[in-house]
Amino acid sequence: MKPVQLFCWHFMAYPHLDKDFDDKQYTGWVTVPNSLWNNSKSRGLYQEYIDQLAYADELGFDGMVLNEHHQNIYGLMPSPNLIASALTQCTSRGKIIILGNLLPLHMNPMRVAEEYAMLDQMSNGRLIAGFAPGGGPETFNYDVPSANTREKFWEAADLIVRSWTEDGPFAHEGRYFPLRYVNLWPKPLQQPFPPVWIPGSRSPSTMNEVAKRGYCYFLSSRSHGGETHKAQQEFAAVLEKHGDHYHPFRFGILMSTYVAETDQQAREECEEGVWYFLKNCLKGHLRRVGRQLTYGPGVPYIPAAAWREYLKGYTPGRKLLGDVENWDELEASQSIIVGSPETVIRRIQNLIEKAKVGNLLIQFQLGNMPDHLARKSMKLFAEKVAPALRQESLTQFTREFPGMNVEQSAEALH
Amino acid sequence: MSGRIIEVNQRKVQILENGSGAPLLYLHGFADVHSVKESWLPIHEKLAQHARVIAPAHPGCAQTDEYNDLEAVEDVVFHYLEVFDALKLSEFDLVGSCVGGWIAAEIAVRHPEKIRKLVLIGAAGLFVEGAHIGDVFMMAQPEYGSSYATLREMLFASVDQPNALEMFPDGKGELEDEVRRYQMLRLSSRIGFKPPYFYNRPLKNRLHRITSPVLVIWGEKDNFVPRSHGETYARSIPGAGELRVIPGTGHSVHVEKPDETAKLVVDFLGK
Repeated sequence: MKPVQLFCWHFMAYPHLDKDFDDKQYTGWVTVPNSLWNNSKSRGLYQEYIDQLAYADELGFDGMVLNEHHQNIYGLMPSPNLIASALTQCTSRGKIIILGNLLPLHMNPMRVAEEYAMLDQMSNGRLIAGFAPGGGPETFNYDVPSANTREKFWEAADLIVRSWTEDGPFAHEGRYFPLRYVNLWPKPLQQPFPPVWIPGSRSPSTMNEVAKRGYCYFLSSRSHGGETHKAQQEFAAVLEKHGDHYHPFRFGILMSTYVAETDQQAREECEEGVWYFLKNCLKGHLRRVGRQLTYGPGVPYIPAAAWREYLKGYTPGRKLLGDVENWDELEASQSIIVGSPETVIRRIQNLIEKAKVGNLLIQFQLGNMPDHLARKSMKLFAEKVAPALRQESLTQFTREFPGMNVEQSAEALH
Repeated sequence: MSGRIIEVNQRKVQILENGSGAPLLYLHGFADVHSVKESWLPIHEKLAQHARVIAPAHPGCAQTDEYNDLEAVEDVVFHYLEVFDALKLSEFDLVGSCVGGWIAAEIAVRHPEKIRKLVLIGAAGLFVEGAHIGDVFMMAQPEYGSSYATLREMLFASVDQPNALEMFPDGKGELEDEVRRYQMLRLSSRIGFKPPYFYNRPLKNRLHRITSPVLVIWGEKDNFVPRSHGETYARSIPGAGELRVIPGTGHSVHVEKPDETAKLVVDFLGK
């Protein structure tokens, strides 16, 4: 058994929006005018963000997390693989998690197979390979028709893994990506292939497909009320159905945190970045103000029967994370955990205890948070929070999952 | 009125039928029977006083099975050839609105011999430079999590007219209406989401193959398929008369002015 794994996730937000952005602009996604990009202010931005990730590696985080977004101010990584490539050169220890490449946006999945294999070689086997289907905004960014997205996604994901594991050349007779000569050079370093993580938002069909293949399920929700714990139970039940067993490292969640010397100082230091993130970065994604593109009838990727079920429990105009109006509401959402090391330990420990989750993917830099604050928070977390979380989680996991060799079982699943 | 399910290629197809006389096949669009409402709209009732109106639900819409391999309008055309055979329809009047109008035009250029007369109402399908067909998918994402005003604006002359509000209400609509609306968007995403956006570029140069008389009807202020598309249809089809524009309407003329629309259609078909 091993302790909880703590990864540092960077979204690479655009931090130079004017204060009146929320008043003047309808959205932060897809159609947010790129005339707002300020070249002189943005010079060196990628370097600053890459350096923060390298710092996470130095501080002893278990790895660095990247993901793919297009045409928005929330995440400036249309190609996370480029950033990952830089990280292979300036870090030496932590995993590099790309969560993930959006497969339906790629004309040919072999490009992803090749780049991931290169990254695995370049990083000396540190890649965790995430595949994601893309959500509503990406549908509009890249004109991906919704109805067949999931089918297309799984064909691509399976082809990539097959290309990593089966000697080529072979022909792939797929519905969406037929290829005469699949013959991957280079092969990935990790054998039989790099760990695969798949994000989902509690859809039973995604859990099922993930369980069937023995991959790790990552819950993409940003809020962690009772739902997180429910997702864990649902995934555990799905694994059992497939003759498999849950353990904490089959599951991951996304959360954000800010740590400072005291609760009050933490709040004061992070508040500007937090509100920038909630009101600007989430506008068009997790706010009802404007037009939320992430999920809805205009991006009809789930079957009609699943949509009917969704509608039954759905409240139109309900508040989303970015709609929180004050600090108390934000605290209640359990999305961004802010406080002294003691507070943060207690709250995260509580989450781990309930959700039995072994992979915490943590966002430190929020919105326009300045470099020195992000680094200070990361350092305090690494020095004061992480040791306690590791120790307590190890005790908990050993007690709750006795005799389970997590490394071996992950291996056996491949 | 009677509804029934027929089967083509192991897929169920829901058909509504009403009236008697010469067969009139109706292909639905967004604000329509099968894509919002379970049953006939007033325009269909009026048409049924003069003809045997047959309205199939498109693949994946209402009770018609979803067809997973469907990814272009061509696939819908072949689906309908099977439906015509199953219904033993060899020659008929064809009326299509919106996306249904596009499908009707695609059928007509391939099989002009099957069509006695053709009516296109606010039909998508053409590429007209500088006159984009609207992004109904983005508009279908509600504003403030609950307002469909911009969708109504795209599909009707005004956002708050009663028939628009009845078919696309804010907040939570009738569950099954919402599911049908979703199904229609899902079908449309297959054929009209990625470029080409609700058009098939070669269609325009094929329109001259249509041999039947054709009536093209458009809304005065169509915010989904610009009126220049109607003008292009009318100009490019040899048997089409002048474009008929119905004053005070948006894209969904058949819902907004059912009497005028039905009269134009009945007069044309009766000639």
